[in-house]
Parts: sequence; structure tokens; C-alpha cells
Amino acid sequence: MPDGYDEVFAEPGRPREHAVALAAALAELGPDALSNAGRMRDSIFMQQGITFDAGGPDADGPVRDRPFPLDLIPRIIPAAEWTDIKRGLAQRIRALNAFVDDVYHAREIVHAGIVPWELIVSRSAFARAAHGIRPPGGVYCHVSGCDLVRDADGSWKVLEDNVRTPSGISYVLENRVAMTRVLPGLFSSYRVRPVDHYPALLRGALTEVAPTTADEDATVVVWTPGPFNSAYFEHAFLARQMGVELVEASDLVVRDATCYIRTTNGLQRVHAIYRRIDDAFMDPLEFRPDSLLGVPGLMRAYRAGTVAIVNAVGTGVADDKAVYPHVPEMIRFYLNEEPILQNVQTYLMADADERHAALARLGELVVKPVDESGGKGVFIGPTASDQQIAIQADEIRRRPERWIAQELVRLSTCPTASPEGELVARHVDLRPFAVFGEDIHIVPGGLTRVALREGSMIVNSSQGGGSKDTWVLEDDAGETTRAAAPAAAWSPPELPGLRQGGEWSGQQQQQQQT
Amino acid sequence: MLARIAHELYWIGRQLSRAEHTARMLDGVFHADVQGGRDDDGVRLSWDALLAIMGAERPDHAPTRDEVVQRLTLDRTNPASVASYVTQAREGARTVRDVFSAEMWEAINTFHLGLLRRDNSAALRTGPYSVYAFVKERCGLFWGVTGRTMLRDEAHAFLQAGARIEAADMVLRMLRVALPGEDDGDHHAHDGQALALLQAVGGFQAFRRAVPAPPNARPVGRFLLYERAYPDSVAASVEALHGALSEADPNYRNSAPVLRLGRLQADLDFRSRALDGDAGGVTQMLGQVQHELAQVDADIAQRYFGGASPPVPRLATL
Repeated sequence: MPDGYDEVFAEPGRPREHAVALAAALAELGPDALSNAGRMRDSIFMQQGITFDAGGPDADGPVRDRPFPLDLIPRIIPAAEWTDIKRGLAQRIRALNAFVDDVYHAREIVHAGIVPWELIVSRSAFARAAHGIRPPGGVYCHVSGCDLVRDADGSWKVLEDNVRTPSGISYVLENRVAMTRVLPGLFSSYRVRPVDHYPALLRGALTEVAPTTADEDATVVVWTPGPFNSAYFEHAFLARQMGVELVEASDLVVRDATCYIRTTNGLQRVHAIYRRIDDAFMDPLEFRPDSLLGVPGLMRAYRAGTVAIVNAVGTGVADDKAVYPHVPEMIRFYLNEEPILQNVQTYLMADADERHAALARLGELVVKPVDESGGKGVFIGPTASDQQIAIQADEIRRRPERWIAQELVRLSTCPTASPEGELVARHVDLRPFAVFGEDIHIVPGGLTRVALREGSMIVNSSQGGGSKDTWVLEDDAGETTRAAAPAAAWSPPELPGLRQGGEWSGQQQQQQQT
Repeated sequence: MLARIAHELYWIGRQLSRAEHTARMLDGVFHADVQGGRDDDGVRLSWDALLAIMGAERPDHAPTRDEVVQRLTLDRTNPASVASYVTQAREGARTVRDVFSAEMWEAINTFHLGLLRRDNSAALRTGPYSVYAFVKERCGLFWGVTGRTMLRDEAHAFLQAGARIEAADMVLRMLRVALPGEDDGDHHAHDGQALALLQAVGGFQAFRRAVPAPPNARPVGRFLLYERAYPDSVAASVEALHGALSEADPNYRNSAPVLRLGRLQADLDFRSRALDGDAGGVTQMLGQVQHELAQVDADIAQRYFGGASPPVPRLATL
């Protein structure tokens, strides 16, 4: 890809400084070993049940129980670059959190004329029921996963925010485990920061926000819509890793203004719920009355402050695609800082001027529906036919408020293994995961998604995308020497020798001597 | 039953248990070592530490990963390797085929043959996970078949006794080497570090379900020492060992090892429950329990196998 940014090669055949060792290791490995490793990965994933179901547009019917598509070439992020990303993300999450708090309380940003009130209330994720509720610590967006992309000039941009129920963290952890098992040799020249403390971080944050009295242990649960949800694997994974119960709506019950789970020992109070279910389905008394997945009265308990809901109700207003263009302004308004990570240039189709400008050059832009996720309904101008462009233009004219248009970002590419083990350049994005308890913690790296089709920029796994293990490197090269020093100075405690099985005949002789 | 057979069964149990623990530790350390950022503070579970745990002489240079993996896994010239233990157990099993069920013999024999396959050393170099998975799987198969097909008689009791005393000893050795001493002062262990300790025994999810605390060095140490509900904890192994010997011994009320184990079991229980705040005691307790178990081992040899074991040196700290 001559006009894009490649994560490994600065120019064809010349790897970037941090990737020299990786390129050498891959060259040494060769295509055959790589494709063997791929088969081993698939069989490990199948054995462990790390699979996904998808029904892509090109597939012949829905696909079931495919091994999760992990590409074996890792994506490497140098330490310095990661520091910037981390600072930028933490800043952005603080601003989004402040925005949610503001929307449901004082609405200062509206009074200051920065975000119009009509825009906020017309968002489908705006939750009237959340008005005036302030959760412990004023944290709403406990769990977030913003999508980042790298533009052709190498700079990082935020493509989308996600502060509802971002998924994918289980694949980050499983990918790392699989990589250490399948291709441990690739790690030998690098010190990669571990990711497996995420469940501990999440559990810590949940415990921190749980409204418990001093001598009470917090009961934390993960709430899943059920085994038919496409992310059920992740829900079960997180519950297992955190050592908490995985509950469905029928396990939860609200009495007066307190939430309980039904156990074999009767009702047990619940203090914090990590919910993987949309606002609209949570409580049929407050939101959709036809929801069978909800718990009647849950909002009452939430309002009374007896249970923490993570993420808080109504956060979806902050990651709405039509609110997204205002995020840099939010950062300036709430934090009085300049944004570290930039937005992709975005046009609101509801705005007449921007709409006219965009319609005139629709063939160069990307158009997205504001209320969809997972890459559904995305229109990419440069790859569309004239007829498709005309249809899309009609759609926009018909309901302009449903659409936004964005400049096309040439996603960076990263070498990716083809089924035959050859290296080919494919487009990637990055979704880092953050946990906001008393402080913001971001797991090093995140989920790198990769479009497995040549030239494609759609990375969603439901649309035939794969993923990569993402390595954030330790601070500097001096790390290894520092680690070796204490090992030499250390001496183990005196242990008795390890007994080996004695010979029976030897025992007899000893016995006769006594 | 014949003392010779009982002795053989006891050692088959010990060797298989040691092989499994060694494989799990190697797998755990390998996984932690492949990634960076592990050895800043907290728990010491490194290649160096593994050699110390397995009682090997420490080389004068810091041992490399490949060196330790080779030496402790497939190296048949090293009596303390997984392959050696399995082969020894299989040799022992040949002499006790009359008390083993046919399926047990087959399980242990195919285990031995599987480790002889030539492609193992290649697998060990490129990614040892598959070798350790094989060891864990085969151990699981052997104990499963044993539970399903072996008569619950004295022979079964001695096999179990060997497996459990070894399990307790291996966990104690690991904790003694890996846990930071109390006198190291303030040790806010790195979370990942203590995770490695749990992964090295396969107890991560059990810990998560049983203990609300984050997996730092201290709660993990207490869990692996005291938590009777976790089958590989020292307390659970002591309990099972006590049970096995009580079954094997018609006169267990007068049996020195059984009496000693009863006292040890009560002591562990007392410390974990009554002295809950006694956080400083774990490191010291590890040494004491290990010493007691060495005494039990000597008592067992004395009482059942005709008095053939080296005397246990006195514990300096007692």
C-alpha cells in the first residue's frame, strides 16, 4: 500500500526500528511453519470453545462455531507511542464522563451553547429515567472501548467512542494466551506488557463503586441477556475470570428498593451489576415495556442508590455518532485542555450546509447511520457504484438526521498471514479498553481488528474481520539488564533435597543392619 | 498387603503427582516469562526459582529458558525431569500389575510411550504448551481411571497417600521459594506475579471463586496453604493423606504418621480460622508444615515399609 501507513514496514522490505526483530523472526519461521501454527491455533480454539457465529453478507447462510480468527502476526506499539495514546484516551473518557454527568444534571454545556439540547434529547440513547441520578464517585463510563485508527500520516485518530457495553476484551486475553502457546518464539526479542490483569481491574472497579457498608463484602454480578447473545462467550469469560456469578434477568429480583439474586440460600443482596444489556431492555417499568430480558423495579433500586449499575444508565448519549463531532469541544469545555487524540473530520447531515457540501462529494466520503453498530449500514464512497451513491443520497435527503458523513481514513496496514502462510498487508484498527473506578486504567494494547479481505477497511468480526494480538513494549531496552540483576543476588531458602524413590532392595539391607 | 507392593504404590503416586506438578509449574512459568514485566517485585517464579524448587543444583550463570525447559521436561539423564518420573512410575507399575486394573496400567504405559515420541523435543523447542497439555491430560486420565476401576483397598490407599504427600510437598516447595519473605518489608506484589503462582498449579479460577481479594502474593499464599475446599491446597492434601492412611491402617489409632497428620491438620485449621489476623505467619508456617510432612514420610517408611528412610534433620527455626 504505497499511499498508506504500514505498522511494520517503513518502506517495502525495510522494517521500522521496533519491528526489525519481528520481521527477522517471521522470515526465519517461513510460510510453512506459520501455516502449521495456524492449524494448531484453530485446534486449540476449537478445543477451548473460543468460537464465534456470524452471518456475513457473503456467507452462504449463517456461520456457526468457527474458531475465532486470530491472525498470528502481532501488532507492535512502541512504549512512547502508547504513552500518548493512553493520555489521550484517559482525557477523552474523562470528558465523556463529565458530559454524561452534565446532561443529566446542570446541562452547562447546553447553556454555554456548545451542544444543542435538541440534539441531545433526540438521541435514542438519551435516558430520561436517569435524570438527576449521580452514581458513586460521579463515574458513569466505568468500562469503555474507543476505536482508534492510524491515518496515512501515522497519526492516531478516534473513529468512534463506545461507552455502553464495548465487547472484545475476552479476545484480547485469549489471543495473548494463544500466542504464547502457538508462537512463543516471536516473543523472544521483546518484553511485552501483560494484559491478564484486566479482570482484576474490572472487579476492583466494581467493588469500589458498590454501595456497601463498612463490614460488608460487595456482591458483584455480570448480567447477560442469555446464551443466545453473540457476546455470551465474553460474558461468561468475564464472570469466570472475576469469580462472580453470571446472572440472567430471571435470577435478579427487586424488593422494595433493593436488588437481590435468587440463590439456594434464599435472596442475596446485590451491590454492583456489570450489565451487558442495553438500557432499553433493563427495566420494563421504565423503558421498553415489552422487554422480557429486564428486571422490573431495577431503576427504582438504582435511583435509591442501593445498587451500582455499570456502565451507568444513559451513557449511550455520549458515544452517539451525532454527538461525536462535539467531543473535542467537550474536552476543552470540561477539562480546559487541548485534545491529544483528534477526531476524524465529520459532517452532520442534519445540518443543511454540511449536507449540501457532503452530497456534492459523496463518492469520497464514508456515510454511517447514527444508531447502528458493528459496521452495519456503513456506506463507503470510493468503493460504491454510481447507482449506490444515488441511492445513498436519496436516503440522506429523506432522513438527514439519521446519517453522518466522515472523511475517508486510509487505515494503516499490518502484515497478516494468509492461510498459506504468506505475509500480506491488511488494514487494521485498534480498540483499547479502559476501566474507570477511582482512577482510569487502560490495559496495554487492546483489540487490534484486521480486515482479512484485500483492500477492505471493514474490520468487524461479524463482517469477516479477524484480530491480532497487540503488543505494547516495555519502557526501554535497558529493561532486561535490570531484571537480571536481582536474580543473581537472590538465594532461595534452604529446601530439603527432593527425595527420589528408594530402591526396595536397598531398604532391605538397611533394615538388616539395624 | 506386601510391604514391597505398598512401597511401590506409594512411590508411583508420588512420581505421577510430581510429574504433573512439575509440568504445570513449567507451563505457568513459561507463559509468564514469554511476556515481559513480570519480575519487578513480589513473587519469584522464574527459571532460576524452578531449579531451586526442583532441588537441582543452580548453575553459576542465570539459566536460560531453553536450558531449564529441556532439563526438567524430557531430559532422561536427569532423574528430576517429567519424563524420568513418568518412566519410573511406569517401571513401578510393571511390578504391581496384579493390584492395578488393566485400564490403569494402560493409561500409565501409554503416558510413558507418548513421552518417548520423537516429535516431543521439537514441540518443546517451538512451543512446549502441547507437551505440558499432554502430561496434564494423561495424569488426569490415570487418576480418573483409578477412581473408576480400582478397588478401594489398601493398595488404593497407598497410591493415594503417595500422590497427596507429594502434592503437598510440591506446593510447599513452590510457595517457599516463590513467596517473598516477611522480612522483605513492604511487598505490594505485582498482580501478574501472583497470577503466575496460581496458574502454576491450575488454581486460578478456584481462587477467583473462593477469595474476593485481588490475587496478590499474600492472599494467594494463604489460599494455597489453608483453603481446604481447593483440592490442591496443602490443607486439602494433608486431609486426604490422613484419610488414606487411616483407611490403610487397621490400627490407625496407634499409628505415628496418622497421629502426626491429625495434629498437623488441626494445626492448619486452627491457624487459618482462629488466628485469622496472623498474617505474618505464612512463611514460617510453610517451613514448619514441610518439616512435619518430612517426619510423616519417615514415619510411613518406618511403620509400613520396614524402617528405611534417612532421618529427618531438625528444623533450625523450631
